[in-house]
Amino acid sequence: MSDTDRGILSTFDRRGRGVRAGMSFVHVLLFGGLVVAGLGPILWLGKAAVTSTQDTITQPIALWPHGIDWANLTQAWFEVHIDQYFLNTVVIAVGSWLFSLALATTAGYGLSVLRPRYAGILNGAVLATLFVPSVVLLVPLYLTIVHPPVGQSLLNNYLAVWLPAAANAFNILLVKRFFDNLPREVFEAARTDGAGPIRLFWSIVLPMSRPILGVVSVFAIIASLKDYLWPMLVLPDPAVQPLGVRLPAIQSQVELDVFLAALAISTIIPIVLFLAFQRVFLRSAGLGGAVKG
Amino acid sequence: MKRTPLTWYRGGGLSNLLFLTPMIIVFAVFSWSPIVRSFVMSFQKTNLITTSWVGLDNFENVLTDPLLGTAVVNTLYFAVLALIFGFPVPLLLAVLMSEVKRGKGVYSALAYLPVVIPPVVAVLLWKFFYDASPTGVFNTMLGWVGIAPQPWLQSSASAMPSLVIEATWAAAGGSIIIYLAALLSVPPELYDAAEVDGASVWRKVWHVTLPQLRGVVFIMLILQVIATAQVFLEPFLFTGGGPNNATVTVLMLIYRYAFQNSLGGNYGEATALSVMLAIVLAVLSFAYFRVTERWSST
Amino acid sequence: MTSRKRAIVAGFTALGVIASLAACSTGGSASGKTELRVATFPPGADAAAYDAFATQEAQFEKLNPNIDVIGVEYEWTGPTFAVQLAGGSLPDVFTVPFTDAKTLLENGQLMDVTKEVTDLGYADKFNPIILDAVTDGDGNIFGFPRQAYAMGLQYNRELFEQAGLDPDSPPTTWDEVREAAKAISEKTGKAGYAQMTMNNTGGWQLTAGTVAHGGRTQVDNGDGTYTSTINNPGTVADLEFLQALRWEDNSMGSNFLLDWGSINQEFAAGNIGMYTSGSDLYTALVRDFSLAPEVYGLTVIPTEGEDAGTLGGGDIAVVSPAVDDTVKAASVKWIDWYYMQKLLNKDAAIADAKALTEQDQAIGTPVLPVLDRATYDESLTWIEPYVNVPRDQMSGFFDGIFDQTPVGEPKGKTQEVYALLDSVVQAVLTDENADIPALLTQADKDAQALLDGE
Repeated sequence: MSDTDRGILSTFDRRGRGVRAGMSFVHVLLFGGLVVAGLGPILWLGKAAVTSTQDTITQPIALWPHGIDWANLTQAWFEVHIDQYFLNTVVIAVGSWLFSLALATTAGYGLSVLRPRYAGILNGAVLATLFVPSVVLLVPLYLTIVHPPVGQSLLNNYLAVWLPAAANAFNILLVKRFFDNLPREVFEAARTDGAGPIRLFWSIVLPMSRPILGVVSVFAIIASLKDYLWPMLVLPDPAVQPLGVRLPAIQSQVELDVFLAALAISTIIPIVLFLAFQRVFLRSAGLGGAVKG
Repeated sequence: MKRTPLTWYRGGGLSNLLFLTPMIIVFAVFSWSPIVRSFVMSFQKTNLITTSWVGLDNFENVLTDPLLGTAVVNTLYFAVLALIFGFPVPLLLAVLMSEVKRGKGVYSALAYLPVVIPPVVAVLLWKFFYDASPTGVFNTMLGWVGIAPQPWLQSSASAMPSLVIEATWAAAGGSIIIYLAALLSVPPELYDAAEVDGASVWRKVWHVTLPQLRGVVFIMLILQVIATAQVFLEPFLFTGGGPNNATVTVLMLIYRYAFQNSLGGNYGEATALSVMLAIVLAVLSFAYFRVTERWSST
Repeated sequence: MTSRKRAIVAGFTALGVIASLAACSTGGSASGKTELRVATFPPGADAAAYDAFATQEAQFEKLNPNIDVIGVEYEWTGPTFAVQLAGGSLPDVFTVPFTDAKTLLENGQLMDVTKEVTDLGYADKFNPIILDAVTDGDGNIFGFPRQAYAMGLQYNRELFEQAGLDPDSPPTTWDEVREAAKAISEKTGKAGYAQMTMNNTGGWQLTAGTVAHGGRTQVDNGDGTYTSTINNPGTVADLEFLQALRWEDNSMGSNFLLDWGSINQEFAAGNIGMYTSGSDLYTALVRDFSLAPEVYGLTVIPTEGEDAGTLGGGDIAVVSPAVDDTVKAASVKWIDWYYMQKLLNKDAAIADAKALTEQDQAIGTPVLPVLDRATYDESLTWIEPYVNVPRDQMSGFFDGIFDQTPVGEPKGKTQEVYALLDSVVQAVLTDENADIPALLTQADKDAQALLDGE
């Protein structure tokens, strides 16, 4: 008798003509609204990337009144050296991803599976950092980078971006929670078969954790691509800066059409990743809320 | 059993350390000690070479900064506007999306796309859209419906709302997805029960959907306030704090104290302000959770 | 599973390689040469500038085979100099604007080069007012003033023509500027006049406008303290001028959040008729902002009022205090060769000019002499054949500049006061009902608090 697959509207509701019309309207509204508002600006950027400056300024909404200007893209790539900044962005993102993953999995494993006596304290200390707003870290972390406890300044060194990115309590807690929910019998079985902790980690736990690894990867990579203030502060040398940091700095020296092409190029990685791994993205977005709840 | 180094080793102590040491070191250097250091530095004055204790001087200087009042008001303004624009719209869209039979995936992807775009790109793009001349993108579109060109970022009255609109666009997708997940986990039996009582669509929403969402909504609310209290990127890249300090936020002030002066920043005052902000947010969160605890069902 | 393992191992190895490469600093000099890191150009300068630099670098290295010069992109801007210094990323030789040099001097953050300057023999040739900016109380010299400029009125000759104005007769009074701005905005739809307003440039230009209207924004009490005099008739006149153009004539366009880079970009793109900025701007406009040379015009900033003058500024070549004696000696050699010799020595001037012309870099941009007037005039004759900037388009400036009184930038908390004044200018340009006296009174209060504090 009860509809398992229902929301506010029951199957019965949906049969009504008023509701059907209403739902079609909703579809139109959603589709139109989301396409225009969500996709619109991005599509515009794609169009503008191959439009000449004059056209963009005088007729911003028109579609290529004087033809497509592919030169913008090559100019951006070669003359403005977007290729170099693009590469920097990729290197930084990959580094952040690997460091974050490595740290989150080893820490989660230690806290969840191995659980030495001091795990409780560590867990609490990590949890506590979640409640500290990131603003508090800004200045002292910067000074730590300039004067690290060992060695010289880490300015212009990618470690200055990778290591703080890895110190992410949220990722660790996500992974730990996931590991907590793994069936302990599998571990017991592996242990009785003689697997040591490292073997257990590598060959049993990690392969079982693909979903959470995907989620943490998405978080890490997106966080890296979104970062602005921190890389701007610790990577003052333009040669090592990622796109996000470089683009605002060169805006006044680059022609508008080339600049828009550069902006468009810098959206390629995130959009491609998103389209390719949509489900992982959306799951991690939803998970963000569920875990916080 | 006596705990000796040998028993520790045999108990797997070494591999425990192996797995936990990276975390301990990284957190110690890049998380825990900076947090502690922040509190310490707020009582000091440093130029990177010599450091001295100055007691409450930094706090005093910050509190007497004429720009602080402006920054606080602006930050609150941003937070309130962000709540007004950024709260109901994603919720409504999520409710609508949860009800469509087909296309949830496409709609979710469309909604989430702006979230994926790096904020710097979004801001620079919207900065162009906000061109105040009559041929600016938005002004052109307003012209189609007969509205006069707006100053957008060029007037203190409209600068902050312009920032909030872009910020909402960029963040709405994330909220939509979270609400959608929550909506889809509402037990259908509740709706069945409501219908038995003769509830219309609106009453179902009011009496079933919204109460079920209460937990998620409360969390999202406080998270959004905490995030908007630390807004930096939008004012920095859109207007640099102008026009006439209309978009200077607390984080921008902290940035100015620490990093704006090419001759050396005032790190003590910057950390003092950060600490004060953190305390305010902590108190706010604490009070919030106490209040909502009384309202929540669980 | 195995391939996944391999992928992860590969990933970690790659990471290790990247990390070690990244951690490995570009320090170690090879083959026993002294490595000298020198500032070159701001980020965004075009390739030709670097090519010209490479030529000069080669020339210098030929004369000094023990020195290996490494050019470093450089821009005097926040984030902080102190951190770059602490972090070791400051070039060994770099430039500092006059306004900041005094503070660095007082903080002991510049290398004493008195001996080197005296040894080079031209310590007495410097314009004493300019040398004062780099001398401490005991007469020790800490840098080489390398370039000075005065404020000028930049204008777009093409827009002038389109508006029916004569590009060879630019405005000479503020009223004429207003009329020209009105004509340009009416006939071409572009902003007739524009003003910088952000990132301390608003305060900078407001100070320039104040001085040009006969006022001063700060008084040096001579005993180490300063009094803020922002609320003075000159500043009021300048702000009222801006207010009139913005709200009565509507000749300033619709974009008012402009800093040095964005106003130059707008000008180079043909969207601005006139604005005030440094007289040496031409070089940057052409090199970094792709300005078409034939469009450029420069004249003196109109001066009105008893005490009126033109705001001057400049920068100094200094040596990082963190270097050892060998590098210090090499630094001074470089500064002397690259910055100074072309002002003193005919052959050096010609060699420099040749290297620059090959790459179409600007020669002959209007500057104020850092050395005495006679030397300056003489150096101009040496490079006469190489001058490639359209000096006849700048006749207004050349004809008028030496009749104007140069005024130095205020010395007390210069950048902080400029930052304060940014919002005053922004207020006047974005709020129709801006109350100028009230804004200035408040600014004085805030500025005095800054000047009195720490």
